Amino acid sequence: MGEVKLFFGPNHPGMHGNFSVHLYVEGDTVVKAKPLPGFLHRGFEKLMERRTWFQNVALIPRICVPEPDINEVCYSMAIEKIAKIDVPERAQWIRMIVLELARIANHLWSFAGIGGPLGLYTGPFWGVADRDRILDIFEQLTGARIYHMYIIPGGVRKEMPSKIQDMISQTLDYIESRLPDYENLILRNRIVQTRLKGIALLDRESALTMGVTGIGLRATGVPYDLRKVDPYLYYNYVDFEVPTATEGDAYSRIKLKYLEIKQSIRIIRQVLEKMPEGPINTKFSDGNALRYRVPKGYAYVHVEATRGEYGYFVVSNGEDKPYRVTVRGASYPQGLYGIEKYLPGTRIEDVPIWLDTMGVCAPEIDR
Amino acid sequence: MMNSMNDLLEELKKLFGNFEVQEIDEREVKIDVESDKVVGILTTLKSKGYSHLSLLTCVDWINENKFELIYILYSWQNGCKFIVATWIERKNPKFVTVMNLWPVARFYEREIHEFFGVEFEGNDDMKPLILELWDDIPPLRKDFDPLEYSKKKFPGRQYDKDVIQEALIFRGDKNG
Amino acid sequence: MEKSFFAPVKAWKFLFEKPVTIKVPKEKRKASERYRGFHINDWDKCIGCGTCSKVCPTDAIQMVEVPVLEKKFGEKPQRPSIDYGRCSFCAMCVDICTTGSLQMTREYVHLSSQPEAFIFVPTEKGIKNVENVEIGWIKDEDSELLELERVEMEMIEAEERVKSFIEYVKGYSKEQAIHEAARCVECGICTDRCPEHMDIPEYIKSIWLDDLEEGLRWLYKTNPLSSVCGRVCTHRCEEVCAISNRGEAVAIRWLKRYIVDNVPSEDYMKILNFNPKPKEERIAIVGSGPAGLSAAYFLATMGYKVDIFESLAKPGGVMRYGIPRYRLPDEALDKDIALIQALGVRIFTNTTIGKDIKLEELKEKYDAIFVSTGFTLGRSTGVPGTDHPKVVQALPLLKDIRDYLRGEAPKPEIPETLVVIGGGNVAMDVARSVARLQKMEYGKVNVKLACLERNFEEMPADMEEIIEGKEEGVEFYPGWGPIRIMIEKDEIKGVEFQKCLEVFDSDGKFNPKFDANNKMILQGDMVVEAIGQAPDYSYLPEEIKSKLQFIRGRILTNEYRQTDIPWLFAGGDIVNGPDIIHGVADGYWAARGIDDYLSSKERS
Repeated sequence: MGEVKLFFGPNHPGMHGNFSVHLYVEGDTVVKAKPLPGFLHRGFEKLMERRTWFQNVALIPRICVPEPDINEVCYSMAIEKIAKIDVPERAQWIRMIVLELARIANHLWSFAGIGGPLGLYTGPFWGVADRDRILDIFEQLTGARIYHMYIIPGGVRKEMPSKIQDMISQTLDYIESRLPDYENLILRNRIVQTRLKGIALLDRESALTMGVTGIGLRATGVPYDLRKVDPYLYYNYVDFEVPTATEGDAYSRIKLKYLEIKQSIRIIRQVLEKMPEGPINTKFSDGNALRYRVPKGYAYVHVEATRGEYGYFVVSNGEDKPYRVTVRGASYPQGLYGIEKYLPGTRIEDVPIWLDTMGVCAPEIDR
Repeated sequence: MMNSMNDLLEELKKLFGNFEVQEIDEREVKIDVESDKVVGILTTLKSKGYSHLSLLTCVDWINENKFELIYILYSWQNGCKFIVATWIERKNPKFVTVMNLWPVARFYEREIHEFFGVEFEGNDDMKPLILELWDDIPPLRKDFDPLEYSKKKFPGRQYDKDVIQEALIFRGDKNG
Repeated sequence: MEKSFFAPVKAWKFLFEKPVTIKVPKEKRKASERYRGFHINDWDKCIGCGTCSKVCPTDAIQMVEVPVLEKKFGEKPQRPSIDYGRCSFCAMCVDICTTGSLQMTREYVHLSSQPEAFIFVPTEKGIKNVENVEIGWIKDEDSELLELERVEMEMIEAEERVKSFIEYVKGYSKEQAIHEAARCVECGICTDRCPEHMDIPEYIKSIWLDDLEEGLRWLYKTNPLSSVCGRVCTHRCEEVCAISNRGEAVAIRWLKRYIVDNVPSEDYMKILNFNPKPKEERIAIVGSGPAGLSAAYFLATMGYKVDIFESLAKPGGVMRYGIPRYRLPDEALDKDIALIQALGVRIFTNTTIGKDIKLEELKEKYDAIFVSTGFTLGRSTGVPGTDHPKVVQALPLLKDIRDYLRGEAPKPEIPETLVVIGGGNVAMDVARSVARLQKMEYGKVNVKLACLERNFEEMPADMEEIIEGKEEGVEFYPGWGPIRIMIEKDEIKGVEFQKCLEVFDSDGKFNPKFDANNKMILQGDMVVEAIGQAPDYSYLPEEIKSKLQFIRGRILTNEYRQTDIPWLFAGGDIVNGPDIIHGVADGYWAARGIDDYLSSKERS
């Protein structure tokens, strides 16, 4: 049988986000794969150069839909680093709550995401519904469900509302109580196990060479997590484990997501206990928001996103707008180089599984 | 700056001659090196544990008429990063690829080529990565004005609704 | 994890559970208390400053003219319109709103198939005309995006400054000035209020960008007396500053001073780069006060030949002989005058028009005349005893003091105890000047100031003058009207006052009412009357005077300060008053008027 070129995405039930892969297939085996990003290119980096430091707070969360807060944190921390600002302690703890809630929400969503390629449609319903509970917290805390625009350079925008702590605790209890359901539905599911085990393999050496980070790397037995290796905020003040696996397959990656939810719950509970009272932001520049300036300098800040290392490289030339901002999308290595290198040899139906479990997020590649 | 970084810097200076060092914080250092030493320094750093290429990017310093290429190397062992920077001419910008050191660099370089116009010798794939049917100068250059471009490309929209009239009726200043 | 065939079946336990979704639109969900929904805007609070539209990251906010809004100082007749097709619901507009009029609601949904239906000018009833719409996101102290507190101006402490006439306001340093400039939101409401419509946001922005040369160019576009105004302007602009709605106004006056103080005077001509085309016509200006100097500057930059005639020994008028040195040092004034002279303006001092040269003679030699002779005559309360030689007028005393400080006159008689009558800035100048002399001469201050106005708010003097005067030891007695000067054996012993119940009547006319039973005596061996000044028109020949119209002592002109006699223009206190910046404005408009007059004359 001859080689057939197959346009996989941007419209495909197994493809999340507007991303496309050109597959050259023989039968149902992939011979060659070409990633085709760009459908979601909105020119964020250029737009940021043309908006003031503070205005960008409204722009950046949009780079990553499922987990917008990492953008806000990276951007803010980069500015704080250049301007040498000490952020009030309480703000840093609040940021940790936001980040970990976002992590849970994102993992729940990816349970929904894996449902598509597997045909397991209970997963999406549950995942999305439970994620909504976290969005409810965000709505109470930040005033918006998806794009929070809550974390700003210098701290966070508003004090936590009263009673939000109870709400968070209750929601965490609820999510925890739901975990066995997910375990039953997905992880222990015979079909899922048969379908995912040994699929979309990535070995340790390749992962390191490729520059894969996050779960994709940890599933090969490498315990690299920026929260541990390069602790930002107060991650070195809370106890948590970095789950790893050695199989390096799709199933182990899904399992790690599941285990990470537990760790995130653990982190948030500690944060709620440990966080002090006090101010929640400090000004990073004189004057009003139209005239905030950041001193000359460079900084690269990265955090552990659900898909790996998410970073912001910020250059300031001392003016009221950033001179240059580069966003390091976490899925850049696996989404571009990884597809080209590791999809050949797999079968068509395994392509979405690679994309989902490795966490290929189109908007952060395209920016 | 951590001691291990300092030692490594000394070693690099011995090998490659002096260069400018800028400490960003305890675990982050930016070094400005001459173009012909970049690959050597990157190779050395990689062998010393700074094996993770976090980012490869470019900054357009239009007033200086230069591009600044940025390589951010990260060590998973000690959580430190080196930002290796080098300046190249803005006119006919050319540099060498590092895809033999980090295969993923191929895509970073492709992107920089697309958005800044920098050629990377040794990288055979310089096709546009993100943009489709692009018909202007590389858009992340400082002299590209996206607003002008969009005005030229897309029609504006005129709204006819009399918003003030409506507001005045809401307020009861006027009868609807 | 163990593989299990039955594990997924456990999901069936949800078969009989209620769904977690709600039936929209039948069921309504309540948004959170700080939800960022749509906008509401309190039109009565909103001043149309447009800061919301500047901070908007998506350009969703446009300011729209509202023709029915009344035009008044401190407001612009415009309100924000919001395009919800662009809005990103970030609430930065709410957080930066200078008045707090913008807030967001707890509404989730707005649906329409028409693109037009997404643009609104929000009102108190939001965008959907709902009474008492529920409020979501509001600004609080944490989310504030303005800087409400002013950078404090360093001043010499009261105890120290009262010992001398040294200028006690130190002026901003570079860091302080840039910081203060960063508080401005560039709304331009100040410009509308300034009588001279100075480009205030522009020069403040120049400071912020640390481009003082640009700042100087903005200043001299409209105000040749920037060095003076940067110190003693009555700063009407600051009263309307958008920031002052919730915080302290931007220190516009001190910022102006920062520019002029920090550009070397020898560079002025190079930076300002005047390049007028010389014109033939000659213009005479009578009086070298603010209006006269201003007119001279603008005429000279247009290329006219300008001569100023000043009856006193030095140019500057009230700036030289009225305002005390601790507020306006001679050097600051000299700097401004030097620039005007450098433009080719000639100043003839010790030349009194009407005495040394008749106005008619002037008319022969010049193509147009601008008179700005000011209010030079003091007013008296006229109570018994005011004819005593130690009951003096404010202006002559202030002049004597300044001449003495310059070493051009003997030391004036310094009373050990002084009573000042009057509640305006001139009274403050007298009180604080004499306080300094007393401190220098006797080591202690004994100045009492009484005025009709019943409290500090009513007094026409600037509040900071009152506060600073108090700090320096001046005692204030607001709400008292003099009955008589107490004289014993030809010596002044004090002044007797009666309580003032009301200064203005219900029509707002000056018509004080007193309580004759409530009396008070302030002791003092000298009395200064500082209750206002009057013009002196003796230099105007009867023939000219009869052609002019006077309204309450002031000459009537058109907007170009042209009197009923076409070649005669007038400005300053004798036309508008009451302060320097109004004088500068008069000079500016007169210059344009004279230019128009002369060019049209040429044409005809």
